Amino acid sequence: MHIRANFDRCTGCRLCQFACAERACSGYNPRHSLLRIQNSTEHLYNFPIVCNHCLNAYCQNVCPARAISRDEQTGAVVIDENRCISCGLCAQYCPLGVIIRHPESDKYAKCDLCGGHPLCVQACPTGALEIAYTGGDHA
Amino acid sequence: MPNAYQGTLLHIDLSGQEVQHLPVPQWLRETFVGGKGFGAKLLYDLLPAGTAPLDPATPLMFFPGPLTGTKAPSIRACAVTKSPLTGLFLDSYFGGEFGQEIKYAGYDGLIITGRAPQPVYLYIADTTVEIRPAASLWGQDALEANANIKRECEDPSLKIVTIGQAGEKRVPFALLSCEFNRQAGRGGAGAVMGAKNLKAVAVRGEQLVKVADPEGFTKAVAQAHTELEGSDDIQVLRQTGTASAVEFANEAGLFPANNFQDSSFAKADRLGDKGQSKHLWLGNIACLGCPIYCSKIGAIRHGKYAGTISDTVEYESAGLLGANLGISDIRAVTHLTRLCDVFGLDSMSAGGAIGFAMEAAEKGIIDAPDGIDLTFGNVEAAEYLIRGMALQENELGRLLSQGVRRAAVALGGDSEAFAQHTKGLETPAWGPRGALGTGLAFMTADRGGCHQRGLPAPIEITHDEYNGKPVDPRATEGKAAMVMEMQDFSAGTDALVKCDFATAGIAIETYAAMLSTATGVERDASFLTDLGARIWNQIRLFNLREGLDPSDDRLPKRFFRDPVPSGPQQGQHFTTEQTAAMLEEYYALRGWDASGVPTSTTLDTLSLGTLPRFVLNS
Ligand code: SF4
Repeated sequence: MHIRANFDRCTGCRLCQFACAERACSGYNPRHSLLRIQNSTEHLYNFPIVCNHCLNAYCQNVCPARAISRDEQTGAVVIDENRCISCGLCAQYCPLGVIIRHPESDKYAKCDLCGGHPLCVQACPTGALEIAYTGGDHA
Repeated sequence: MPNAYQGTLLHIDLSGQEVQHLPVPQWLRETFVGGKGFGAKLLYDLLPAGTAPLDPATPLMFFPGPLTGTKAPSIRACAVTKSPLTGLFLDSYFGGEFGQEIKYAGYDGLIITGRAPQPVYLYIADTTVEIRPAASLWGQDALEANANIKRECEDPSLKIVTIGQAGEKRVPFALLSCEFNRQAGRGGAGAVMGAKNLKAVAVRGEQLVKVADPEGFTKAVAQAHTELEGSDDIQVLRQTGTASAVEFANEAGLFPANNFQDSSFAKADRLGDKGQSKHLWLGNIACLGCPIYCSKIGAIRHGKYAGTISDTVEYESAGLLGANLGISDIRAVTHLTRLCDVFGLDSMSAGGAIGFAMEAAEKGIIDAPDGIDLTFGNVEAAEYLIRGMALQENELGRLLSQGVRRAAVALGGDSEAFAQHTKGLETPAWGPRGALGTGLAFMTADRGGCHQRGLPAPIEITHDEYNGKPVDPRATEGKAAMVMEMQDFSAGTDALVKCDFATAGIAIETYAAMLSTATGVERDASFLTDLGARIWNQIRLFNLREGLDPSDDRLPKRFFRDPVPSGPQQGQHFTTEQTAAMLEEYYALRGWDASGVPTSTTLDTLSLGTLPRFVLNS
């Protein structure tokens, strides 16, 4: 599974980011959520940018501690916090900029699809985020 | 235990180039909560009595509330200062994301005093606070300056408040531009910022806002969302923003036309949601953390103003820059509103001033400048005056930029008879003749003629029920109690700082539940209304101290002298007996003496007599 972003429905309200930051950091600040909302043209356009859980995941490829793996159940590319050595290479090479440093633990964090029930999708009032399933390796 | 406060106020003295981090006193949180509450107390304590609004000593403050920056839906922030337009307390509200960013930077408020010797902007990133040169930004419009600061700092995620040229030139109704399409419009906070030589405040923050009881908070927030979803009014705002109010107000006979000479406008539908959706809207946008997305953003696609991107022309601008000027082309009104936004003028006061000038020309009190056809309906004349006011580039513009109260004094003759203001603040786009409670709300509003401190109009006109009883719009009875309750509700929840629209859905008990769980201190609905009364009285004390004459609690002359000429309110006007009766009852209910001054018993009941004074212990 993955999260599909329909930018045409996104209002830029960032309720998704609040839901995400709450789970990831036990507090609120969109900067500490694991997805981004990019605005352009005076907010005429809002683009939700979510982890793609790439088949060829650069974050996983560059991690020297082998802290990043694929969750068999959900297909999500996840970081094992216990193995993370806080080097930040994953964030540096993530093409979407959706890996962040946890403000308190100092470890790196990324979307894990909330174990199969993404809270951002539940929080979105417009359907701009939805769960999608793809066939193949990680259905 | 964490709570939704960050615990610190940031004070920047631009004269001494000094920065202090001040703890938020516990008593201040308990008695004034945040937002408007902090503003009411701090302005009273920090402004040396009698200081002119544009004096360096006047503080310009920005306050989020305890819920700002959390996931509580539809919460905003406010700017507080002394108004250069009215000389009274000024609180002006804005959505968007700037208020939340103050919290993320770690603050419960920004207090800016002094005057920089040269133009500057403030850069605040958590505990880093820098006063940076802004000479190159001076002279730029509000959005240009925003874009250039982001470029200079190489940080598009900064949240920035700027002024335009009108603020630099200290126009008494200059606004604060809080990112795109969001303005703190009323009362001239932009001029106070300009007088500080302060072009912008740019903020970014990495701090988290945490709540005391996460589980309880989640429950309270879910309840708020359920209430929003269940409200018909919210669904209308979702569909059309405030544009749908245009046709409602017009059909009710409350929509100002030609400087309030009339109360309905034949082409109102072109200014409302029908006209706007046809010519402008493309999609929905929302403020941070708001599921209502009342903003309908779009662009003018062709014609003279093609390429202009615009948020919904909200009700007040559609009324005051449209019908009130006799202009029915929504694209032209969009263009005029946009000019106000980028130059940094309050579109409401600007519309009031232009309407006043058009009527003055109609009555032969002023001569139209060469080449300008200063008649109702003329878009070019309106544009000429907006430029004239904001850029101070022509004589008539300079006169009108002082607001209609001062312009009428300068022009003399009978011009005061059609200067539409209360206490210097231009009348909002609700002509109250025929809706007596609405008149009382304007007369008694703390910042002057204002529609945001309780607006009984929609209830009055539809004969809807209030507290279980149908409301008669033309009765004086019961209006004082209704207006007072609405004001206390509004002031109390503006301590949080709530969005006015969201209150059409979210119940006061739910606000109290969100506050309780966010801060860890149990509060109920009556706490919020008592808080509202405390804030209201604190502001009354400020206004009286700063020279408010209670006899200014009155409506513009037109609403007494000129019966509505046509439409559903035809023949309606106020009588002095009506306003006197409502005001007498209002003062009594407020616990004010017959001359409108709070009695010592009232102040004691609200614990206003005994509170400490807030000081900047520099
Ligand atoms: S919650 Fe939905 S609409 Fe709001 S910003 Fe996120 S994706 Fe966009």
